[in-house]
Parts: sequence; C-alpha cells; structure tokens
Amino acid sequence: MLSIKNLHASVEGKEILKGINLEIKAGEVHAIMGPNGSGKSTLSQVLAGNDAFEVTSGDVTLNGENLLAKVTEERAREGVFLAFQYPVEIPGVSNLQFMRTAVNAMRHHKGEPEMNAAEFMKLAREVSKQVDLDPAFLKRGVNEGFSGGEKKRNEIMQALLLQPKLAILDETDSGLDIDALKVVSDGVNALRAEDRAILMVTHYQRLLDYIVPDYVHVLADGKIVKSGGRELALELEERGYGWLGIKDEATADSSALSNSAN
Amino acid sequence: MKPASTLSTAFLHPAGQALPEPLLALRKQRGAALVDMPLPTRKTENWKYSSKYLKLTDEMAVSLPTAGKTGSALAVPGYKVVFINGVMIPEASEYPDLNNILIQRFGDLSDAEASELAERLDTTLNTKEVQFAGLNSARFEDGLMIRLNPDAVLDQPLFIIHEVTADASGSAFPRIFVDAGRNSQITLVEEYISSGQEAVLVNSVTEFTLAEGANVTNIRLSMGGENVQHIGATGVTQQRSSRFESHCVGFGGPLRRHDLQVRMEGEGAECKLNGVVVTQGTQHYDNHTTIEHVAAHCDSEETYRNIAADKSHAVFNGRIHIHQDAQKSNANMNNKNLLLSTGAEIDTKPELEIYADDVKCAHGATIGQLDEESLFYLVSRGIDRREANVLLTMAFINELVAQIPVEAVRDTVQIRLNQFFDQAFQEA
Repeated sequence: MLSIKNLHASVEGKEILKGINLEIKAGEVHAIMGPNGSGKSTLSQVLAGNDAFEVTSGDVTLNGENLLAKVTEERAREGVFLAFQYPVEIPGVSNLQFMRTAVNAMRHHKGEPEMNAAEFMKLAREVSKQVDLDPAFLKRGVNEGFSGGEKKRNEIMQALLLQPKLAILDETDSGLDIDALKVVSDGVNALRAEDRAILMVTHYQRLLDYIVPDYVHVLADGKIVKSGGRELALELEERGYGWLGIKDEATADSSALSNSAN
Repeated sequence: MKPASTLSTAFLHPAGQALPEPLLALRKQRGAALVDMPLPTRKTENWKYSSKYLKLTDEMAVSLPTAGKTGSALAVPGYKVVFINGVMIPEASEYPDLNNILIQRFGDLSDAEASELAERLDTTLNTKEVQFAGLNSARFEDGLMIRLNPDAVLDQPLFIIHEVTADASGSAFPRIFVDAGRNSQITLVEEYISSGQEAVLVNSVTEFTLAEGANVTNIRLSMGGENVQHIGATGVTQQRSSRFESHCVGFGGPLRRHDLQVRMEGEGAECKLNGVVVTQGTQHYDNHTTIEHVAAHCDSEETYRNIAADKSHAVFNGRIHIHQDAQKSNANMNNKNLLLSTGAEIDTKPELEIYADDVKCAHGATIGQLDEESLFYLVSRGIDRREANVLLTMAFINELVAQIPVEAVRDTVQIRLNQFFDQAFQEA
C-alpha cells in the first residue's frame, strides 16, 4: 500500500531524513520508534504533505500513485490521515463544522452525496462515544481548551469519521494517562482493517502494549537502522537504544510516563 | 493640480426647502460656519491615513434628486423606513402609529417640535473632531426623528434603509435623531445601500440621546458600492444606568469613514461597541471611535475586527477618555486585525486618556495573518484550501457576527461576506 524509497527531506536546509526505505502492506500495523530528533515527526509531516519540509530526493507511492506529487488536501482525499502530535487549536471554527466539512470533502471526492447537519450530528455523536469524548466538545472550537488527552481522542475521532487508507499516528500516546491511553488504543484498534495500513510513530513502547504492531522499525539520525517484529520493541524497552549504537538522553527516563507537556 | 485646501463653496448650497422653519434656520447657520472649512490632509491627525481617499468634486456637491423614486423593495422583518438620497419615501415605509413612540420625518414636524429638535441636533458629537457632521447639518433635506416616551418599548427592530441612487454625480445627507426616554427600548438597524455607478458622496449623521435606564441597540451596515464615498458619524449621550449597544459592520469602498462618539454622562451607564470591517481590492475603511467616561461607575466594552485583502486599507482609531470624576470606570478595548495579503494595510491606534485614579482600563491591538499551522491542519483533513481559508477568516469574526441580535441582519452580512470570500480567495 505505502512504499517509501530512499526518502530524503530537509527543513530550513538541514537534512533530517537521510534515506528512508519502508514498505507497508494493507492490513499491517507498523511502529516506528526512535529517540528524540531521529526524524520520526518529520517523516509523519512529510507523508502528510507539510511544505515546511522539503523533499530533496526519493519516492513515496500510495497504492502505486506518486504521493509526493499531490498537495496535502489531495493526499487526505486519497486516504492519508495524520493524527497530529500537537493538534492545533482553532477558536471560532466549531469542531462539528470542521469535521462535517472534512467528511463532506471526502464524500464529494468519492462522488457520494454530502451529509446534512442533522445526519452528520447523529454520526458524530456515535463516534464521539467510541472515543469517550463528551458530545459537548463538538460545539466547542476545534481543540479549543481541550486537555492533551482530549485532543488526542479528538484526533482518533476524526480518523474514525474519515476512514483513511493510511493512518499515521504521531506520538499519539504522549500526554495520555493510562485510562486515556486505553480509550485511544481502543479507537486505533477499531481502525485496524484488511484494507487499511497504520503507521505509529512513538518514542516509547508503552503504546505497543495496547496496539500490537506487526512490525517495528528503529529510526535513528534520519535512517531506519533496524527492523523486526513486536519483540524488537520489547528489547528496546529493556535495553534502551544504546545497544544499537544510538545516543538517546531521554531513554534513561523511559520507564516514566512519556512527556505530558501538553 | 493641487487639491483644494478648503471645502468648495459648491457644497454650501442646500436643496429642498420642505422643512420647518427652525430647521431651515439651523441649516443656514451651520452652512455659514462651513465657509473656508479646511479639508483634511495627511497632517490632519484624525484623517492621517484617510485624507488621500477623499476626492470631492464640484459635480458631487449637488444634492441628488429624489423625485420619481419609489424606494427599494427590500423585504425586512419588522418595521422599516425608507430614505432615498436622504429624503423619506413614505409609501415604501411601514411602521406603527403608536401613542408613546413618535416616528416622524423632519418635514412633518410642527414648528414647536422642530424648534426643540434644532436645539438638540449636533449636541451628541464633538463637531470640532467630526467636521463633516457640520456639512450634514448644513445640507440635510429631511431626516427621521424618533422619540420614545418613558417606558416605551418598540416591539420589533426598526430598519432604516438609506439608499443613494447614483445615476448622476451628487450627494445625499441622511440624518437620524433618536430621543430615547427613561427606561425606553429600541433596536434600530441602519442600512446604507446604493444603486447606480456615478461618483457620489453620502454624508450621514445619526444621533442618540439615552435618558436614564434607556436601552438602545444600533446596528449599522455600510454596504454602499464602489462609487460611494461615505463619511458618517454617530453620536451618543447616555444618562444614568442607560445601555447602548452598537454593531457596526462595514464593507470597504473608495472612502469609508465612520466616527462613533459615545459620552457616558450618568453613573452606571454601559456601552458595548462591536465592529467588523472587511476590505478588498483597493478599498478603504476608517473607523474612529471615542468613548467618554464622564461619570463614575460606567462600563465600556469595545471589540473591533478588521480584515484587509488585496491592496486594501483599513484604519482603526479607538480613543477612551476617562474624565477626572469618572472613578470606578471599567473600560475594555480590543482591536484585532487580519491581513490577507502582503499588499494590504491596516493602521490601528488605541488611545487611552485617563484622568481618574481608580479605574480598570485595558486595551489590546494585534495585527496578523492566517495561521499556517491551522491551515495545514484543515487541509490535512481533505478540506479544500479555499474553504480552509474561508473557515479561518470567518473564525476571526464569527463571535462578532453571532452577537448581532437580528437574524435577518446576520443573514445579510453572511451573504456579503460570502461575496467577499469569493473575491478574496479565488480557486488556485
């Protein structure tokens, strides 16, 4: 489904991704782990089409189509979804209006009729239950005043509404307490499907206890340095990144809950 | 050719004699005071950013004809009074005949009523600062007098439609005076529209006097065309415990100037001033507001938002003056500005003058662009880039549009905003 070949990308002239190769088949869940600064978030942003990052060489295809040739909104309509590490707050645009506009953009693309406000409200209420988000949040501004956990649940809610082909989850576990982590994981597991690929980007293995990946890759200094099965994550948990020759200051702290900065 | 430095004498000839004698006398007196009135230049502080947009020609000095005009067939919910080129069109107007609320054109006032009105016209405005109010007083041909007796409540909004028909060059001088008695209530919608394409001047003045406990809401829509220079002023005086609420929504033009002056003269008065301005192309809009806290224990809250696209230019000057005796004043002013293009310009100047020592006073002004991160977030969900721009721009003013208390006005505003968005964010 997703094929990444020798992907190089830089931001403000500094090369962050230095030749990524990755193949993800439909139905698979892949986890990319790595220390801070290894390029995990850059990879997510590049796949979603953030033009703050410049792709200097390489190819990315989704179901055989050149993804890099498409602008962000086209990628989204083709089925790429990025759950942001730091979802942005947009006061003045209601969450409901935002999600309905997005769902209708997708339906329009597929040639399906748009959903009216009442139909969408019904759907949104159901899905919000699935991520344990009070429907009152639908009326608020997008992410406005949401806690870190509420923002992450709001991201998963959007994924459930938009039903992407490729869901990229950027540090979806950060800032979550254990209960929220379970809710979010249940949401992600509900996304698992034969025709969908999931790429999880995470610093810690904790999330992988709840969302069990088929493959684990270790990203360091812009390259994938090791790939393996689920057991690789456990090994990293036990031994840190050091045995792979990777420096990571944060790993010393990996037994603690991940950063709850937001 | 060097622009004239004083108002052309062509502007000193009022038309229309169908007014009671005391008003004709007032007009004459105000006209005499305009001889050699200096026109604003870049050096005129309160016209600094706008003087270059003022382009008065002698052709524009003529009063626009009203004969044979029938008035627009605008469907408005509630009561309406239609004026064309500053003169009321009774057959297009619909309003109730109540014994406690007088709604009457100037031309129909008795000499005694007109004499009383003449004493009160221009008293709500600082005419030294708002020079063009004097021009209106020298030239108005008609006007609307609304007097609410104590405790009178108008049960529906009153729409005053001021249409200017620009089939030829000329000018119009719309005038409104509202005398809101003790504990009376009214919602007044002023809508300025235009037809025709020739260069015209609209020079309007609206005044409100609020007696103790009066509650007045004024919605002002500036919707004239690209050929209309509009210089308008609104003056308000407030007595004890009265409340004045204003919603000014303006779309740009070759020259748009609105001076809004509120004087809170009685303790416990309260005013809330909201403003939304959008400009595009090479349009201009200038809002100058003054809030005078004369008495103690008054609250003012002012929120203005400007959005400027293309090469347009918006100006906001907000002055709060807290007089020495106005202890326990509470004043809050906020002005946020959004530039949609690198060629657009917004000038903002909050001015605070505080002479009392026990007051709460806050002000803030910001200028920014649409947030790239928010835009990326929206398009990453498949939302069209144009739509995302519209959502974010609308988000900037949503709160103020939502506060407009008349649904039909909100709808009208939204339709005009959609036209603005169509122009401002064309498909790539």
